[in-house]
Amino acid sequence: MKVLLTIRAGGRVQSKKPVSADWLRVGRNASCEIHLPDPRVALEQGMVTRPDEGFMYVAGEAGASDISRKGVRQVRLAPGEPVDIGPYRMELLPPPSADYDAAIQLDLVRPLEAASDLATRSSQLTLGSLGLTKRGAAWLWALIVLGLFVALPSGRVLDLPWRDAAKVSTFGDRFWNPGPLMLAHQPIAQDCGACHETAFERVKDRTCLECHARIGKHLAPHAQPAGLFEGARCASCHREHKGVKATHRDDDGFCVACHRDLRSRSAGAAALDASDFARDHPAFRLSLPGEAGVRRVRMGVDAPVEASNLTFPHDVHLAPEGVRSPVQGRMKLECRGCHQPDAARQGFLPVSMAKHCQECHALQFEPAVTAREVPHGKVSDALVVIEEFYANLALQGVPDSFRKAFGVPGEGLLRRVGEPTPSERESALKLAQRKARQVGEEMLEVRVCKTCHAVTRAPGHSPATPEWRIAPVRASTEWMPQARFSHRAHPHVKCAECHDVATSKRSADVAMPSIKTCRGCHGGSRPAEGRITSNCLLCHGFHDTRYPWDPLFTPRSPQRASGRVADAR
Amino acid sequence: MRHRSILEYAQFRWFKGAVALTCLAAAAYLWHDPPLKPYGGTWLGYTLGTIGAVLILWLLWYGVRKRRYRSTSGTVQGWLSAHVYLGTALVVIVTLHTGFELGWNVHTLAYLLMLAVVGTGLYGVFLYLRVPRAMTENLGVETQAGILLKVNDLDREIRAKALSLPDSVLALVDASLKGTRLGGSFSRLVTGRDPSCPTAAAVTRWAEASRRLTGDAAKVGKETYALLLRKQQLLEQARRDLRHKALLDLWLYFHVPLAFMLLAALVAHVVAVFIYW
Repeated sequence: MKVLLTIRAGGRVQSKKPVSADWLRVGRNASCEIHLPDPRVALEQGMVTRPDEGFMYVAGEAGASDISRKGVRQVRLAPGEPVDIGPYRMELLPPPSADYDAAIQLDLVRPLEAASDLATRSSQLTLGSLGLTKRGAAWLWALIVLGLFVALPSGRVLDLPWRDAAKVSTFGDRFWNPGPLMLAHQPIAQDCGACHETAFERVKDRTCLECHARIGKHLAPHAQPAGLFEGARCASCHREHKGVKATHRDDDGFCVACHRDLRSRSAGAAALDASDFARDHPAFRLSLPGEAGVRRVRMGVDAPVEASNLTFPHDVHLAPEGVRSPVQGRMKLECRGCHQPDAARQGFLPVSMAKHCQECHALQFEPAVTAREVPHGKVSDALVVIEEFYANLALQGVPDSFRKAFGVPGEGLLRRVGEPTPSERESALKLAQRKARQVGEEMLEVRVCKTCHAVTRAPGHSPATPEWRIAPVRASTEWMPQARFSHRAHPHVKCAECHDVATSKRSADVAMPSIKTCRGCHGGSRPAEGRITSNCLLCHGFHDTRYPWDPLFTPRSPQRASGRVADAR
Repeated sequence: MRHRSILEYAQFRWFKGAVALTCLAAAAYLWHDPPLKPYGGTWLGYTLGTIGAVLILWLLWYGVRKRRYRSTSGTVQGWLSAHVYLGTALVVIVTLHTGFELGWNVHTLAYLLMLAVVGTGLYGVFLYLRVPRAMTENLGVETQAGILLKVNDLDREIRAKALSLPDSVLALVDASLKGTRLGGSFSRLVTGRDPSCPTAAAVTRWAEASRRLTGDAAKVGKETYALLLRKQQLLEQARRDLRHKALLDLWLYFHVPLAFMLLAALVAHVVAVFIYW
């Protein structure tokens, strides 16, 4: 068959050509005789055939529903009865001339919509085109931070409308806290207003003193010339928010600012200048009790001598071969035998006659007869005991004791047969009194008391009836009251390393360590090889701890202040 | 003339300046003997804090300066060079200002934000040192618009050819023609990939779909496949380029808002310090 094939689209003829074949395949495949280049058309959609009479359209591929009447696999083509093939409408027309068997016209009735190109589909090619915004995020976050950390917390202190909300809020002013409070202040840590009362004003001393009401003064009045501490606040030295244990400044600058050149700050200052323990610190001063009270004596300058009024040679007691004890035989004495630590183990209990001396140094006055001792204390009490002893012996002594004590044969007056005559009584009394005086004198001046004490006869008494004075014992117990020394902190150091007493023959020898001894281990405030870093506050406190700092204090008059300085020297 | 990056600007002028500033601050910190311990409230702490705050304000001003095209105060390259180096020095200055005292508070918040801003900034510098080279290597003399035009041409060609192919194959091609896109979502832009790209799917499933093609159809199929491969190549190139551009942009979406958050935290820090003096 031969047909004239016309393909039209949008009312315009796209192609018009004669086609001759036994059958005409319809499809988008280029090899189809009726080629319909449209993706909506199947590859080989169908076929136009011409059996005996007329034209038939036979649907080709399965599922290609291109025939007007559904379910029909083939249909007869006739003019005026078009058939839908995909978007095309096919119609058989009468042959245009005798050369043709027929004409077939295909109309594109549903044109393909223009396919969008890649560029039009890809409109969001940058992050900005996705609706992300730098400016919006910047504003949002900045406002959140300002709201949470400025506006909300300042409600209380600035008395803003949300004052109460700021108090209970988790986002109150606690996020302003720059560091942990010291332990004692932690109960009020959540309440900034407890100390920070007014906005943009520093914490006032008054606020501290509300709780610390009984703190008193921090400085002895004499150590506080007018103006020296002017402007100082509690917080000048006491720092908060610096850790749970930090209560105050402990740097050397704190002390050295004044003590480097003390005289320029305070003309009447008694202490020498100091700026660093290792490099610039005066020799220690010792407190020595004397007749006129406690004297302060500079070591290495004044050659300190202890006037304790005791006779005590350390060398004898610490002799390597030991001492002879009447109770324990030969024994070696240790320092701790007499110097026993106090309860805090910082210093030592006073040496006591009864506990530490008397076992060897018994106060026996008539050892041949009795082990009795006189009481340690007042001379008169001791003498009374002696008098009573010998009087009793003269009255009731057995012959053996009587002879040993009085050196003459006899026995107590009351032991003799018969009533004693007045002359016998008188002679017994005199014997007892003479012996008692002799023994008392010997005990005091020669044998017992004199061993340790300075004993003198009181002036104004006849040799027959003497009286004695025992010099008051002034053993020093607090040698360095300005230093905070703890023996407990030095357990690994032997006593003798600091206190050289092994060769000391006199109690006047002072065995306190010099600054050189301490410097053997302790350095200054700067770390140094082989030295313990030691700043001022390791050994010293802030001035006189009996006078806590009182910022409200003003001395009554300059005279009063400087007068007290002189006393302190 | 060899290209000089902003890091080398004026013979490393700002690098030297930043090193000098850092050394000065470190020396002062080591020399300083503060009461108690170093923190922001000593005289050195206040000094370092003031320097840090002024630096932060000045660094923020860069955002204004770079938009002032008629400004004559230095060049934008110079400003950027200084912005990078002094911004890095800021980390040292502010760390010394803290005296290493950190905690759960607004002060540490400001410090951490400062670190975050500088960190994102340094990431930006890193990107600007790497990505432009990668962009050139990726695109060569090509441009993105050029790629789009080429893809459109290929699309036309593919469309024409694919009509001669069976429906199953045509469906793949059609999806590629109609559904392929560039960008469109954050992850696609930033990763430079489109896991649901129909063109890639068409390429992957082509072998399976075109197995039964024979004769002319097989030949057309091969040609179409070649065109699809070329299209996919172009798409990958374009997506890499989009990714590069997104990367050059993305860090700023952190850097800038964090910088303003830092400004707010800095205000909070200063207010908090002086309101409870």
